[in-house]
Amino acid sequence: MQLIEGIFFEPVGCLAEFPPGPFLEISSRLFGRKKKTSASGSRAYWHLLNLIEASGKNLDGPEKEFAEALEMQAVAEAKVYEDVAPALAELKKMGARLFVVSSLSDAAAKSFLDRHGLNEFFSAVWSRDNARGIKAAPLQAGLAGAFLQPERVMFLADTLESLSVAQSVGVQSILMMNDPDEARRLAMHNPSGGIVSLHELPDFLRVVAAENSGQLGTVRFSSGGPTEI
Amino acid sequence: MKKVSIYRPTSVEEAIEILSEHGTEAGVYAGGTDLLIRLKNRLKQAPSYLVDIKPIQNLRYIKEDEQGGVRIGTATKISELAESDLLKKKYPMFVQAVNLISSPELRNASTLGGDLLQEVWCQYLRGGYSCWRNGGYLCYGAIGDNSYYHSAMGGRLCYAVYPGDAATALIPYDARAKLATPSGVKELSIEQLVPGDLMVDGRIQSHVVRYNEILTEVVLPPPKPNVRASFEKLRPRGVWDFSMASLAIALELQGQTISDARVVFGGISGKPYRETAVENFLKGKTLAAELKDQAMAVALVNAAPLKYNATKIDMAKGLLASGITKLSAAA
Repeated sequence: MQLIEGIFFEPVGCLAEFPPGPFLEISSRLFGRKKKTSASGSRAYWHLLNLIEASGKNLDGPEKEFAEALEMQAVAEAKVYEDVAPALAELKKMGARLFVVSSLSDAAAKSFLDRHGLNEFFSAVWSRDNARGIKAAPLQAGLAGAFLQPERVMFLADTLESLSVAQSVGVQSILMMNDPDEARRLAMHNPSGGIVSLHELPDFLRVVAAENSGQLGTVRFSSGGPTEI
Repeated sequence: MKKVSIYRPTSVEEAIEILSEHGTEAGVYAGGTDLLIRLKNRLKQAPSYLVDIKPIQNLRYIKEDEQGGVRIGTATKISELAESDLLKKKYPMFVQAVNLISSPELRNASTLGGDLLQEVWCQYLRGGYSCWRNGGYLCYGAIGDNSYYHSAMGGRLCYAVYPGDAATALIPYDARAKLATPSGVKELSIEQLVPGDLMVDGRIQSHVVRYNEILTEVVLPPPKPNVRASFEKLRPRGVWDFSMASLAIALELQGQTISDARVVFGGISGKPYRETAVENFLKGKTLAAELKDQAMAVALVNAAPLKYNATKIDMAKGLLASGITKLSAAA
């Protein structure tokens, strides 16, 4: 793996557990789909993105307002994972450039960061509004906006759709292994790597950096950085 | 099996020169019970140049030192440790532990150094999965079958447990390890030798030994008087297997009062897991079987089991209860 310069985060499923309800409601009302009560927030979200993509239309006017209102509700109910803030702080300290790259509306993505005090960690927010599209579009906008080579960027993914999007854009797809059963299925789809917790991401970057530097020595994980013994 | 070239140096210095010349492509070869299987499994991190240290004369010994401690050359066979009268007399718990390593046949071949520095026995690594220790960036044990050989105490990137028994049993004796390095001898505690969760010279491994260093000696300090110690190990099978949980416990007594304690769990973490909370709880208490319930309550509170291995924590706590009961009965 090449030296990593930037990390793209989709808040839904990778930074926080979102409720499925609001996304299922949008799917139901705008696309006539039955609500699946068992879906996770992440799966409901990516299912909705598939529906939007398949319909070939942009959400405009009343549909946009309706979707955005429910997304804001989802943001309000989202529970940020406990390892997010310390991991982001450590990544930032290591010099990694962090971006929110999401198919949420701009208002929802920014509200998520404000509400949970995460603004300080991110260099930019790419949403379906300023990227003018969903799924791959925010990733491509993020790459272009930050002048990053895709192979030097990680995108955290926790669904088959998000893995596929990462692979289609050429960024390093890093599987968030929140649910071991789901992760086992997704691991069959050749992610570039995987982590159990965001706490591991700084160590992941240290391993890749050490491999790329070719320098020999000792790197102790999660003890505040490389340590020579 | 991966093709290899073998060197047979006759001194530690010569061995270090060869290791330094070939970098991470070379590896130390002693008993071979771990290394040869890694080669057979065609693991990416298995060496191409083997430096056979068996011809080196001064690495295979068990001898008493002037202070009353014991020095063990790391090329000493596990079976030789198990049969040593000196070790039986001075460190019976250590002998108890080495008798539970693998099978009699393998104990005849494997060495103390090999047991201390062996690679993890994750079935995904050994099955050639592209995991953190085999050229990849994902731990399959964390999401697959982690019933036996994966950490129940959390992890970093690789979740395999440290599989050795000797280290677990040496820590309660405050044993130390000596490494021969290009710049001289380096001495470490056993805890420092196998701290887990680290990358050394580009390889994720459990121990700190670098590519051009050789673990040469383990030094056991003179045994303390009035110490009672016990080692127990639970395995998926009754014999020939790695621990699902093990416990080395040593209690130093003044009369019936515990003046010092060492409690080290094996098989549950990426390193031998020294449980200082239990040690602190035991200090100052009167040794009695009744202590076991309270000790179990303070033990392993930071456990973070994976999907299938929470039972390891129950096993470890059970071993703690069993160990305390056994040592109190010996009073």
